[in-house]
Amino acid sequence: MSRGRSILLVARREVLERGRSRGFIFSMLFTTAIIIGSFALPAILLGGDDTTRLGIVQPAPAGLDQAITATGGVLDQDFDIVTYPDRTAGQRALAAEEVAAVVAVPEDLSSSGELLFRREAEPAIQGVVNAAVASLRVNEVLTEAGVDPGALAAAQTPPTIRALEPPEEGADAQFLIANIGAVLILIGVFSFGFTVLTGVVEEKQSRVMEVVLSTVLPRDLLMGKVLGIGLLGLVQLAVFVVAGLVAASLTQDFELPTTTPGAALQLVLWFILGYTLYSTALGVLGALASRMEEASNASTPVTMVAMVSYFVAIFAVINDPRSVVAVVATFVPVSAPMVVPMRAALGAITLIEVVVAVAVTVLAIYALFVVGGRVYSGAALQTAGRMRLRDAWRSAGE
Amino acid sequence: MLEVIDLSKRYGRVVALDGATFTARPGRIVGFLGPNGAGKTTTMRCVFGLARADRGEVRWRGERVDRQARLRFGYMPEQRGLYPRMRVAEQLGYFAQQHGMGGAAAGAATARWLERMGLADRAKSKLEELSHGNQQRIQLATALVHDPELLVLDEPFSGLDPLGTATMTEVIRERAAAGVGVIFSSHQLDLVEDVCEDVVIIARGRIVAAGSIDELRAASGRRHLEVEVVGSDGAWIDGRPDIQVLEQSGGRTKLLVDDSVPLDELLSAARRSGELRRFSYQPPRLSELFMEAVAEPEADMAPEGAR
Repeated sequence: MSRGRSILLVARREVLERGRSRGFIFSMLFTTAIIIGSFALPAILLGGDDTTRLGIVQPAPAGLDQAITATGGVLDQDFDIVTYPDRTAGQRALAAEEVAAVVAVPEDLSSSGELLFRREAEPAIQGVVNAAVASLRVNEVLTEAGVDPGALAAAQTPPTIRALEPPEEGADAQFLIANIGAVLILIGVFSFGFTVLTGVVEEKQSRVMEVVLSTVLPRDLLMGKVLGIGLLGLVQLAVFVVAGLVAASLTQDFELPTTTPGAALQLVLWFILGYTLYSTALGVLGALASRMEEASNASTPVTMVAMVSYFVAIFAVINDPRSVVAVVATFVPVSAPMVVPMRAALGAITLIEVVVAVAVTVLAIYALFVVGGRVYSGAALQTAGRMRLRDAWRSAGE
Repeated sequence: MLEVIDLSKRYGRVVALDGATFTARPGRIVGFLGPNGAGKTTTMRCVFGLARADRGEVRWRGERVDRQARLRFGYMPEQRGLYPRMRVAEQLGYFAQQHGMGGAAAGAATARWLERMGLADRAKSKLEELSHGNQQRIQLATALVHDPELLVLDEPFSGLDPLGTATMTEVIRERAAAGVGVIFSSHQLDLVEDVCEDVVIIARGRIVAAGSIDELRAASGRRHLEVEVVGSDGAWIDGRPDIQVLEQSGGRTKLLVDDSVPLDELLSAARRSGELRRFSYQPPRLSELFMEAVAEPEADMAPEGAR
């Protein structure tokens, strides 16, 4: 029988045993619900309140409604105009809270008219309506005084708008996606990496290790375990990403930046690389321990490295994705899985950098498999106490 | 045929195996005997590549044992263990497939062995839900499910109740009758005497005796003699260097005699001393052969933890 089939059988066992467990299914459903909820809830709670309903009492000056919506547009405020045949009807609607305010201006603009609120004046509405009515009246006065309408329109042209350092398109959304990505990678690498760790310790503790290793090579067992648990992690990540993207695109206010598809792909790629790197290290450390408590102690260095990488990613990289720290961290295998997808989400990494980072990380994974595989072989059948790395290495000489 | 050739292994300063050599033939049941720490488990682990010998090798059908050969072996380690939360049938099926069986064949073999062990109704139970005895049965089935050509069982009888012992004996005999070579270690020498044709006795990492039990008996230079003579004080034995008195009470005497001692002479001597009631002359029991074989020349204990 080929070693490949042996590895696949190990992986299949992991997928079936863990994928069918209630814990896995519930945690996935629960987290998916949270992701969708976090996009949908703000939309439900705030979504309908963005337009202001405003009543206008007829007869009103021509162009008042356009003037109000145009002025509102400049101030990023949408108005929904409702007309009422007379003032009484407008007041009734106001009392019933069908509209936020009612404007009553004489058709001939002989006076500035009235702006009615139910209880308190709302400054935002007040400002827009004031400006709209004033501009109509000024135009009226000037036109009557014989001012050329063309010159008037020209005089009212607002200054050209120019920002010296315009924010990049969708910068906020990019920032959000970069952060979510880093968190997903960290959580994914940790939860599934530790599943590998506990899986290895469980095999030692239940003494099934010796039965398994009488047919499966130690390295193949480790590889199959990493593969199987990784597939579950990948499925979970894919569900989260798809749920997040669908929820985000259904929410009109959240516009996905153009870097999103690339960022999502990088997220998946770097989850695979990061998970493989960290879970292999954790699996090897698990083999050195014979009890769960020892395993958590043994895993501390790996945990520290992962946390430091994460903090480098969220502080140094978010601050300046092209800084020296960010670039260096891109080519360090332990930090690349968190730094590269973040830089990609911020649109601040070149293809060459990504390719080199992938190559470096793959090399590191290979080296870890060679070294760690031997340590794992030497330690897998040791069941008394915690084994030292060096002893495990020696006892597995090939 | 399995050949263990000059197997040597050290753990630090402790010598676990020191040139162990023996063979196990198809269809024969070999009892692998030795005091604790003599090297039995280490030998078995070397057969399965779980321990790396410093010197020597294990051959199967004339070739060095590799992973492919091991797929045809069945192993029950001393430290029992299976996946506690895995369902029984899936567990057996998994190990069958790891030994190279296809999915369908593995399923059929699983069903057959569950039936054989009387656990067909527990196929969907998790292993941890089974009683200790039934877990042992599944452990045995795990070693057998892929229909191995060589069966290596480390202390298969330890912890079994009489019922379990009967099942185990039956299965071992049946497998051997089917042409499978069986090696099992045990400290229950009466049981070994009952079940095995061949024994291999290991002490301090070396094979100190090997062969069929009958051969070993024949080779042993000693015989047990039980004599009961009414009215004798046992004086007829005195002064013979080739006779060792094991036990004496009244007229009953248990003796260890060199096989060079002429039986006629002894019989006449006994008759002369009184009324002879009993005169039984027999080869030593396995337990005695064992004690004889493992007796240390310098009479100190085997190295601690050398297994």
